[in-house]
Parts: sequence; structure tokens; C-alpha cells
Amino acid sequence: MLILITLIPFLCGLSVLLPVTRMFRIRLFVIVSFVHSISVASFWCSRPTPEFQGYLVLDALGLLFLSVISFLFLSVSVFMLGYFKHEKRNSRTFTACLMFLLCTMTVVTLSNHMGLLWVAVEATTLFSAPLISFHRTRESLEATWKYLLICSVGIALALMGTFFLAIAAHQVDSLMLPAVLSGASALSVNWLKISVIFLLVGYGCKLGLAPMHSWKPEAYGRSTGMTSVLMAGGLTQCAFLALVRVSQICFKTGLGQFYGSILILTGILSLIVAAVFVLGEKNLKRSFAYSSIEHMGILVLGLGLGGVGIFGALFHVINNALAKVVMFLTAGSVAQKYGSANSSDVRGVIHLYPVTGILLIIALFGGTGMFPFATFHSELMIINAAVMSKRYLLAGTIVLSLGIIFIGLAKIVLGFVYGRSTEPVLPKRENAIMNAVIALAAALLVVLGIWMPAPLTRVISDAAALIGSTP
Amino acid sequence: MTTWIDASCILIVFFSLSILATYRIVGMIQIYALQSFVLSLMPLFLHAGNVSSRDIVLSLGTMVLKAGVVPFILFWAIRRISMRSEIKPIIGLGSSIVCGALLVAGAFWVSMSLRIPGKAAADLGLPCSLAVLLLGFMIMVTRTRAVTQVLGYLIIENGIFLFALSLFDSMPTLIEMGILLDIFVAVFIMAIVLNHINEEFEQGPDPEKQVKPREVF
Repeated sequence: MLILITLIPFLCGLSVLLPVTRMFRIRLFVIVSFVHSISVASFWCSRPTPEFQGYLVLDALGLLFLSVISFLFLSVSVFMLGYFKHEKRNSRTFTACLMFLLCTMTVVTLSNHMGLLWVAVEATTLFSAPLISFHRTRESLEATWKYLLICSVGIALALMGTFFLAIAAHQVDSLMLPAVLSGASALSVNWLKISVIFLLVGYGCKLGLAPMHSWKPEAYGRSTGMTSVLMAGGLTQCAFLALVRVSQICFKTGLGQFYGSILILTGILSLIVAAVFVLGEKNLKRSFAYSSIEHMGILVLGLGLGGVGIFGALFHVINNALAKVVMFLTAGSVAQKYGSANSSDVRGVIHLYPVTGILLIIALFGGTGMFPFATFHSELMIINAAVMSKRYLLAGTIVLSLGIIFIGLAKIVLGFVYGRSTEPVLPKRENAIMNAVIALAAALLVVLGIWMPAPLTRVISDAAALIGSTP
Repeated sequence: MTTWIDASCILIVFFSLSILATYRIVGMIQIYALQSFVLSLMPLFLHAGNVSSRDIVLSLGTMVLKAGVVPFILFWAIRRISMRSEIKPIIGLGSSIVCGALLVAGAFWVSMSLRIPGKAAADLGLPCSLAVLLLGFMIMVTRTRAVTQVLGYLIIENGIFLFALSLFDSMPTLIEMGILLDIFVAVFIMAIVLNHINEEFEQGPDPEKQVKPREVF
């Protein structure tokens, strides 16, 4: 079953490379995402058994991330049905890469071997790069180049870290996660420390943590909304899963304190960087990219703080994905309608496209963690974790940064929504499919903010228990 | 056989240094190919003269990919670029060699305090791979052209490969991963082709840009 849900997207990805019609490719992608989601939903009822000699295992953590990714792909695929009505470019490479990306991200969530995890994360970098330069403009090619260069060097460092981990696990003689965890006492602490630093820098590049974040505004600013959603909600969170796996090992070996303190440092730095840079931003997608840096910082902070913070971080993984769907798909829809995402070109969206205008405002509130959106709760949990561990200065900095980011985003989004309207390039008609997808994600975000289903709580608690207790 | 391994390690560091001191891109690619060739011979020395079939496969695979295919693609890639040499390295050649030498010294100094379980203290694998890694970073940072940045990345990757090779002969999966990284390099270079489209655009002014400074989404 596990091999099947990785193979189906891969084979369909190969098949869309054949000469078929544009809409057929997109419909096939919708079907693949739908089948994927159905299978993932069935995993919530009965967890599949390990496969492929124990390399592919679905634990509570994997299930959580896999569900998030599956949802992202489903919503993006349906959104594409609407988007490609007005899109003239060939969809061949785009849909093929999307399906390969679905395959590799699934492997990331399933992999139970640190080496396989690295291979899968690296593969996601490769298949996401062509997505950024979908519109072959000069700027998007430049963004692709920057992304490829930074992330592949980063991922090379993570490989070095994986090798160091293998040295640390010299006596265990395996990089299978259960073997490393059960033989945690035999790990060499010094080598583990070096390995952790390399892994953090490597996967941190992929996550876009400050100071390795510079590819993010470029890549998200220049690519289509769909690509940004999958990168901000899926790709970066896959790298976060890698960091979570590392923290599993760290907590078992008593390095939780060490790892936690580095995570807190990079996390708060990301928040501050996002807060500083978002203020001067003139482009909607770029400012949302800074919001993504902020959310990654929050995730890492939660993981580093431990305790209730871990629960909050895992909950935030879901909320972040939903918020990113609302934010980037709305931004993509606006950018398609106006042919630009710059504040100088777009004003008064609400007069011409009332629904899109309202969705933009929802994106603002959902993305910055306002009540009643679920992002509010998860961010509160993480701030709570900071207060409970008596890090008052840290908690204050988090709140302050979140406030500044809200002001920065509000400034640009409200400028887009209100004011005298500018002339769009597309007919003044809303697209029902696109808006329905965004509205559904927003509704889910509100529902999760008010009521949390019991199975979800159970899976998040199980996943938090896998990571371990407070550092 | 340890002499052979040590000699190869030192040669690999030496080649990285000479790439740092090279001005022409063609020369850099040639040195990279030589370095990869030496690297690909190393699996044959690992087991003190007993060459197993896995060693030969690994050696041949590395040789074909790193010393053959990758330089070939790089040469193919620069065929279209008019400027064959690095225009302006950020640091001059003389001072970059001095910096490189300092990095090598640093790598040896750091690895003095690191002892790999089951290896002799005088083993050159770790310091040399660290040195190559750092030199690769240095090339990447100080060179401005896209091709030279890729070369820097490739050298970093060679450093990691050297590390994997001289430290693990009992871990097949890890080495397989190294080869996987190689496949990645091939794909990475396709991105250069993409970048070429970019560079071709830069030949003349972009007509779209002059009409209206709007992005297309």
C-alpha cells in the first residue's frame, strides 16, 4: 500500500510526459491527488504495515505530515482546473514535476532511514525547481537558479551531517531510525553534536530559516501561486519533518537541551528577520514569503521549546499549510487577474472582484494568526511554552515580531483590497472553482480554531510523544 | 595500500587548490575531471589489494559519471557562452591561493581534535575531505559566473564523496547515496541550460521590459 501511493504519482508523472492534451494532464493530476488523499484518509482508520524491508513506515508523525501534503496537492490540483482556463503555457513539465514532487514528498513522510530521508528531501529540491520557472521570465529563471544553488549546497551539508551521524552510530551500524533510537546510549555524543549542526544547517536551508532564507522571497515572488503553496506548505514542512526526526534522536541521547537552544536561536532570528523585511515590501507574494519565513521560525521555536510547544508546532504544521493555501492561492489568483503582484499595479480588488477581495482579507487574518483562525491557537501554544519555561524575553520578542509582521502584511494587503481600482488584464469575472478551493481551506482553518476532532488530537499527541518530553 | 590512499587524498586537495588558482573556465573543468578521475580510483585501494566486484563497479561508475559525463555536460554548456574566462573574481588569484592554503591548514587543525572510531589518527580521509569541502565553498563564493559556481558545488560534492569513500567500506547504502547525488548533479546541470536561456536573453535588451515593466504570471 505504501509503495503503491508513491508509485502511482510517479508513473502518472511519467505518463503526462507523453503528448496528450493540456487539460488531460491537469485532470489526471486531479485524479492522482484524489486517489492519494483517499488512501491517506484510509490510513487514519487502519495504519499500514511497514514495507520495503522496514524502510517505509508510517508512524503518527508521518501520518500527520502525509495528510497535510495530500490535502495541499488535492486543493492545488482542483485550483489548477480553474487557473489553466486563462493560462496559455504548456503544462507538460509543470504537471509532471508536480506528480514527481507528490511522489518524493510521500517518500519523505514515510522514510524510516536517515539516508533515505536525505535522498527524498534532495529529490524534492530537484522536482520543485522547474516549477518556479514555469513562466520563463528572466526573473523567474534567476529565482530558480538562486533556489537550486542555495538548497543544493545546503542539502549537501545535510548529507555530510548524515555521514557524521553514521560515524556517531558506529556501534549501531545502521541508520534505521528504530535502531538508532534503541541504541541511543551507544552513540558518540561528540560526533552527534557535529552531525546535528550540519543537519540543522542543511535542512534549515531547505526550510528557509534565517539566515539561509534569501531564496524564499525570490522563489515565492516569481513563481505561480500553486507552486508557492506547495513549497511553503509542503516542501519546507518536509524539511521540518527531517528536523523533527533529528530531534527524536537528540532527545533520546540527552542532547535535547543543546539541539533545543540552537533551534530557539534560529527560530527567533527568522521571526525578527521576517518582521524587519516585511515592512518595506511592495510585492504581495514576496511579503507572503516573509510570512512563510515567520511561520517556519514559529515551527522551529515550538520544537526547540519542547513540552506544549511540540504539540503546538505539530498543530501549527496543519494550520500553516491551510493558511498558505489561502494566502498564496489568493495571491496567485490576484496576480493572474492583474498580471502583476506589485502594489503599484493592483488596487481596489474588492470593487471588481468582491469575493477575491474578501478572500485577501481572510488570508491576512488567517496568515497572521488572528482569532478565530486555528493559527491563533497554535501560535498561542508556542508562546505559552516560552512563558512556561520562564523565557519571558523570548516570549516578548515573539509577540512583538508577530505584531510587526501583522502591521507589515496589513499595510500591503489592505492597499490591494481598497482604493481606486486599477484595470485588470483578465475579464472582470470571478472564477468559482478557484474561489471555492480557497474558501474551503479558510473554512477548515476556522473549524480547527473552534473545534478539534478527537482523532486529530490523538494523532498529534502520539506524534508529540514520539519526539519525547521537554528538553 | 595506505600510501596510495594518502597520495590520492593529497592529490585531490591539490587539484582543488589549483582550480582556485585557475583563470580559464575550460582549465577549471579539466582539473575537475582529473580530480574526479583520481577520486574514482580510490575504491580500488580501499581493501589493501583485495579488489571486490563492488569496488570495481563503484570505481567505474564514478569514473564514467564524474570524470566523463559531468565534464562533458559542462563543456557542452559553456560552448554557447562567449566569455570563456572568469571576468572578475571577487578576490584576486594570488590572495585566493593564500586564503585556500589557510583553509587547508584550518581543516587539518580541526580534524586533529576529531577521532573517528575504528580509524588510525594519521588517517588523511577526514582532513582532506574537509579541506576540499571548504575550498569548494570558497570557489563558490568568490567566483561570479554561473558555471564556476557549479564547479564550486561539484568540488564540495567531491569532498563529501571522498569522505564517504575513505570512511565507509562497510556501508553500501551510504555509497549508493553518494552515487544518487551524482545523478542529481546531472539534473543540476540541466538547470544551467535553463540559466542559459537567461543569459541568451541578456544579449540584447528585453523588448517586453521596455514596453511595460510588469511581470507575467
